Amino acid sequence: MKRAPGRGWPSTVVGIALLALMLFPVYWMVNASLQPAGNTLQRTWFPSHPDLSGYVTALRDQGRNLVTSLVVALGSVVLSLGLAAPAAYALTQFRLRGADLVLFGILITQMAPGIAVANALYGAYNDLGLLNSYLGLILADSTAGVPFAIIIMRASMRSIPGEIIEAARVDGAGRLRVFRSVVLPVSANALITAAVFTFLFTWSDFLFALTLTTTESVRPVTLGIYQYIGAHTNQWNAITATAVMASVPAAVMLVVAQRYVTDGATDGAAK
Amino acid sequence: MPSRPRSVTDVARARFLERLAQWMYIAPAATYLLLFFGYPLVKNLVMSFQQYTITTFYTGAAPFVGMENYSKILSSDLFPKALLTTFLFTAGSVIGQFALGLAFALFFQRRFPLGGLLRSLLLLPWLLPLVVSGTTWRWLLDPDTGVANAALRGLHLTSSGVPWLTGTSQALVSVILVNIWVGIPFNTAILYGGLQDIPAHLYEAAKLDGAGSLASFRHVTWPLLRPAVSVVLVLGAVYTVKVLDIILVVTGGGPAGATETLATQSYELSFRQFEFGRGAAMSNVLIVLSLAFAVVHLRASRRAQNV
Amino acid sequence: MISPAGSSAWRTAARLTAAIALVVAATGCGGATGAGSATSKVTSITALDYYTDEPEHSQWGETLSACGRTVGVKVEQASVPGASLIPKVLQQASSRTLPDLLMLDNPDLQQIAQTGALTPLDRYGIDSRGFAQGILSAGTYEGKVYGLAPYVSTVALFYNKDMLAEAGVAVPGTWDELKAAAAELTRPGRYGMAVDANPTFESAWQFLPFLWSNGGEERQLDTPRAAQALQLWVDLVKRGSMSKSVLNWTQADVHDQFVAGRTAMMINGPWRIPALNKDKNLHWGVAPIPVPQTGQTPVTPLGGEVWTVPQSPSTARREKAAQVLACLNEPSSMLALAKQHFTVPSRSTVASRYAEQVPSMAAFVKSVQAARSRTRELGVKWPKAATGIYTAIQSALTGEQTPEEALRHAQQTAIGD
Repeated sequence: MKRAPGRGWPSTVVGIALLALMLFPVYWMVNASLQPAGNTLQRTWFPSHPDLSGYVTALRDQGRNLVTSLVVALGSVVLSLGLAAPAAYALTQFRLRGADLVLFGILITQMAPGIAVANALYGAYNDLGLLNSYLGLILADSTAGVPFAIIIMRASMRSIPGEIIEAARVDGAGRLRVFRSVVLPVSANALITAAVFTFLFTWSDFLFALTLTTTESVRPVTLGIYQYIGAHTNQWNAITATAVMASVPAAVMLVVAQRYVTDGATDGAAK
Repeated sequence: MPSRPRSVTDVARARFLERLAQWMYIAPAATYLLLFFGYPLVKNLVMSFQQYTITTFYTGAAPFVGMENYSKILSSDLFPKALLTTFLFTAGSVIGQFALGLAFALFFQRRFPLGGLLRSLLLLPWLLPLVVSGTTWRWLLDPDTGVANAALRGLHLTSSGVPWLTGTSQALVSVILVNIWVGIPFNTAILYGGLQDIPAHLYEAAKLDGAGSLASFRHVTWPLLRPAVSVVLVLGAVYTVKVLDIILVVTGGGPAGATETLATQSYELSFRQFEFGRGAAMSNVLIVLSLAFAVVHLRASRRAQNV
Repeated sequence: MISPAGSSAWRTAARLTAAIALVVAATGCGGATGAGSATSKVTSITALDYYTDEPEHSQWGETLSACGRTVGVKVEQASVPGASLIPKVLQQASSRTLPDLLMLDNPDLQQIAQTGALTPLDRYGIDSRGFAQGILSAGTYEGKVYGLAPYVSTVALFYNKDMLAEAGVAVPGTWDELKAAAAELTRPGRYGMAVDANPTFESAWQFLPFLWSNGGEERQLDTPRAAQALQLWVDLVKRGSMSKSVLNWTQADVHDQFVAGRTAMMINGPWRIPALNKDKNLHWGVAPIPVPQTGQTPVTPLGGEVWTVPQSPSTARREKAAQVLACLNEPSSMLALAKQHFTVPSRSTVASRYAEQVPSMAAFVKSVQAARSRTRELGVKWPKAATGIYTAIQSALTGEQTPEEALRHAQQTAIGD
């Protein structure tokens, strides 16, 4: 839609003002993380003398949890894409009876409250020894990534022209080769989108971290923050510093993979 | 050996192998979904009829108690309160997110310098871990030291400050506000996408007919945006009804249980009181609610496809 | 330190009892003690506590090692956060991997003992004479001693000396004085008083001294005496002398508010003293909790952790564990531990010697003598009453219910299923 270009800048000013209002909490978080520890009354509106002690404390207390989150998130990306890509391929390219059932199942997953899943998994994990384990968290956290990745990739693979695949088949490529060297490269965008979101879902997970871990051995940073508040009201700079560090992936994705993020938001809902 | 039957068998076998090979692509994902959604949902249903407590972890014994879990939770004083809170929280969040999300989407529909950049920056609240957002807001809203009350006092709008987290009705408003803040970007993104899909010539035509901006919104934008609207509203409701993170972080369900929803109750029962049977019953009530929304969603999207 | 909080797991833990008792019975524990020769083969035992924070974690580690050395065994210390201790213990009990020595918060002991997971200490010839009555009763289940605590603690009123001096306020001794002082001490950005009123067992523990000192009982919560105690807290909040945020504060938060100068007085325990001493600019004092009328003695709840010897197949290991436990409760160990943690030795004679050596602790030594264990009246039913109490505190402080109404509900919770 083309509009008259002349009256642009006033809207920009309004837009910046609105954004400033919306993002104020984020600014305030960053500001707080740069204040010295101590009396919460003496906060200033600008970190004129940035103090990194909050980050030092946060890294000392939560550094390990950040690594745990990273490991779990990456593991979940690998698992989710590994499960979802072939499934999306099969759902779009093969005429399989029962495929509708799988799709229906995926739709149902969007309705299932996480707490219901966690409730049942706790017992199973207790029996299998998966409580407080990386594998257990990766498996549980992928409940967000797998259905989402299937939805995103299916939408993308559906638009691959049948001729491309036919041509490759005629050239004697096996199904697996077609998948690997034709379908996956063509769906690169969808793969990245799915990976970005799976990473963010898992990185942000709180429910499974809260319910499926009971010790400090495997503790994602979201849970770390939760237990930080309350225990250290006097160290809001360290709490907010942890929060800032936990926000880094989201900010990075927004800068580096902006297009995929926007795609994911719209495609995921429009399935 | 006669050749014909053999080749028929071969064809059948080949077809079978072909099918099998095709299913191998789906099997891992399907197995995963069955294990991590199918099993929990069935297990929850079974547990909700059992006396399933920590004892069960020792002995494996979970005696069936019929409807006892349901009658216990449904007859508890807390249930009607939690149900009402869930309703208010969901309705307030969804309406607020939608109204503001639509406003942002309409705003960004104008072309202006830096518009694209600002629009993607708006996504940030949605991408942040909910625990981070919750923590930040909890701190902003702290009745004594938070910047929200500091600003209100500075503007002389209140002398004592608003008990954002310590008043029973204010706390509910607070968690709704936070959830609206989190949900605006998603609503904006979908509605913006919907607006972009409306052909420009329709607006031109409306303009030629002398329609003002309000009339063109009513007669062009709104009807054509309906599919996107139903998607955000229903998805918003489905996602909001099960929100747990924000409430746990911002208010912990308090004060005096004022922000307890069905989801936090289910968590409370299972993981604080170790009454897994009752927790399961509570989450099943939640599932029924979600399913009701899902049915609405399916019907709405079918209608949208027919349009 | 989470000594009073215990874990909410407790509400249901009571239900496991019969089942675990069966399990334990099936394993055939109890009975014959092993021969002396078997004991000598044990070279190391395990111990589980909930002191994950420094310096307490290392302090306990050293004390355990030292006691291990004296009885010729290596003690491997493990610590889990307080809230995870009970779930962990329950898991271990189901897989029969309980540690040889287990630390429990004292109000939890009776319920664990009821499950049959612990062994009575008289079996190992451990002498429990000379211990203060309160802590001994907390460690006793059905007439047998299952756990002994080297030290005990309780809560008291901490105050900021500078703020009191500046406002010209004397340390309050009665409720009326407390209300007046708290109001006097309140300034913009600062409150006069702070307590923990959050929806956990912690707030029940902080409320008990007010309830008990006024003649209220956890057995019968819907009484005027209980309502008066709750009314005191409500008044403090209503008059603005206490932040409404106490509804969300843990004991650690209350401490932080005090250190940050945002409250002039607080209720807290002596385990906070090391942290308070770290701040050189903070001049604080400690006094007994104010009582309703002049001349009354405050009745406070007894805090402190008991050490226990869980059931295990190896008699030899249990014997060794019991020896370490006995060592921890030797007068010299308890004196050293009490000094480290600013708590009170649990043997009365040691406590009086301690009061002479550490005069700043005299107030606590005095108050623990009258302190009551939380499980003395209700035993394994205490968690239900505690749940009722903290729910009532929340309802009353938010203004949802009057103290009378709130306590009527609390009583229903306490006796309900």
